[in-house]
Amino acid sequence: MSRYLSYIAPLLTFTILLILWEFLVILNKIPLYILPAPSDIISSLMLNYLDLFSSAFITLRITLLAFFIASSLAIFLAILFSQSRIVELSIYPIAVIFQVTPVVAIAPLILIWVGFDNAEYAILILATIVAFFPVLANANLGIKSVNKNLHELFSLYGAGRYQRLTKLQIPFALPFILTGMKTSIGLSLIGTVVAEFVAGSGTSTGLAWRIIEAGNRLDIAKLFAALILLVILGIFLFLLISYIEKLILRKWHDSSII
Amino acid sequence: MLILKDIIKNYEVPVLGPIDVEIKSKSFVSIIGASGSGKSTFLRLASGLISQSSGSISYKNNIKPKMGFVFQDSTLLPWRNVIDNVLLPSELTKQNNSESIEKSINWLERVGLKGKENSFPNELSGGQKMRVSIARAMVQGGDLLLLDEPFSALDEVTRRKLEDDLLEIWETNNITVLFVTHSVTQAVYLSQRVIVLSSGPGIILEDLAIEKNLKDGFEETSEFISQVRHLTNILKKEGREL
Repeated sequence: MSRYLSYIAPLLTFTILLILWEFLVILNKIPLYILPAPSDIISSLMLNYLDLFSSAFITLRITLLAFFIASSLAIFLAILFSQSRIVELSIYPIAVIFQVTPVVAIAPLILIWVGFDNAEYAILILATIVAFFPVLANANLGIKSVNKNLHELFSLYGAGRYQRLTKLQIPFALPFILTGMKTSIGLSLIGTVVAEFVAGSGTSTGLAWRIIEAGNRLDIAKLFAALILLVILGIFLFLLISYIEKLILRKWHDSSII
Repeated sequence: MLILKDIIKNYEVPVLGPIDVEIKSKSFVSIIGASGSGKSTFLRLASGLISQSSGSISYKNNIKPKMGFVFQDSTLLPWRNVIDNVLLPSELTKQNNSESIEKSINWLERVGLKGKENSFPNELSGGQKMRVSIARAMVQGGDLLLLDEPFSALDEVTRRKLEDDLLEIWETNNITVLFVTHSVTQAVYLSQRVIVLSSGPGIILEDLAIEKNLKDGFEETSEFISQVRHLTNILKKEGREL
């Protein structure tokens, strides 16, 4: 019962809110260019579905690519850090600098470097920068969190660096890495959209551009439709990583055992 | 089997020594002492996991014996099933073959875990996990088994069963056992010899050969009680309650 309730309760609340929204807009005769009713947004979504879905696909493609590059690079660096303290001390502060620098502040610079004709590359780089740190921080923490006794066990049997890394540190860090990835996938999407806003206007045709375009034309229903697609995209990506996490950890990690 | 001569171990402060002790082959020796007396350090020095600040450790015929180590927690790899955990030492020493698989299965059977080969550690009880840990320590046919308070987190019934199983393994495999515990009764029950360490830095306060005439019902005998009392008094004098 409680399992169904966890689906029914939010769905019911959401439906009630939509109905309230619809009636409030109709009763108060709120103009379409201020706040469209949910029915107007759905109409706009159906009317513009070709535009919107092709833009959503572009945003999704960059998001996934940025996520893949960010995750791979972060895991590689975390492994490197585990092998050399000097490398960690040298590189980690640079990673922190990238993490704390607002992406909008460096977007113009990246755009100049890659060229205005290659805005998509700029978006990819910016989204990668945004998505990179959570995986790095979590992978680094996971690799370092290996129980001292487990390290001693490996030492007792003369395990080499490679054996220790592949048979102990990486598997141990997996739950940490996947937690970082769950944060990172959302940040990839946010990074892509923000980068599209800053660097992609006019040249990129991702969802952010559709939002800007709709805003400029006061087509608020289309703007909302694009927003809805972004939310759906975000939820889909989060669920995808959660599902992968469950597949990998389901047999042995407490977090995945019901 | 193992000779520790003038062993001293310091970290920021002295933690152990000087220690002079010889562990004979095929003996069962327990090390007791209060927290911070350096019991675990003693075991790690004996295993070669850490090195001494001064002194020497030598082995019979100058050959380091094959060792198995059982830690306080079972130290199983949660992402590996039971058989793969037992196979870990063979994998790490690159001796993973059909023979080692057979040995692992045999050891799991010996510790009473037949049929649990494909279970994951999170599906096992604390006692079962410790049994896997013992099987893993024994699978390579070690000469020296080191145990660092392995049963301290188990309930009374499970602990008693595992103690008897450990005795059976020691007797049937002709191995030397070094067993660290904080329990005087456990040490007297299991061992042929009990070494008492003082509180840090740990030095040997007492090296007692346990008189054990009766195998069954030993705990009810006056020898058992008097030896437990004797060791407890030594520790009480040291100002520590166990």
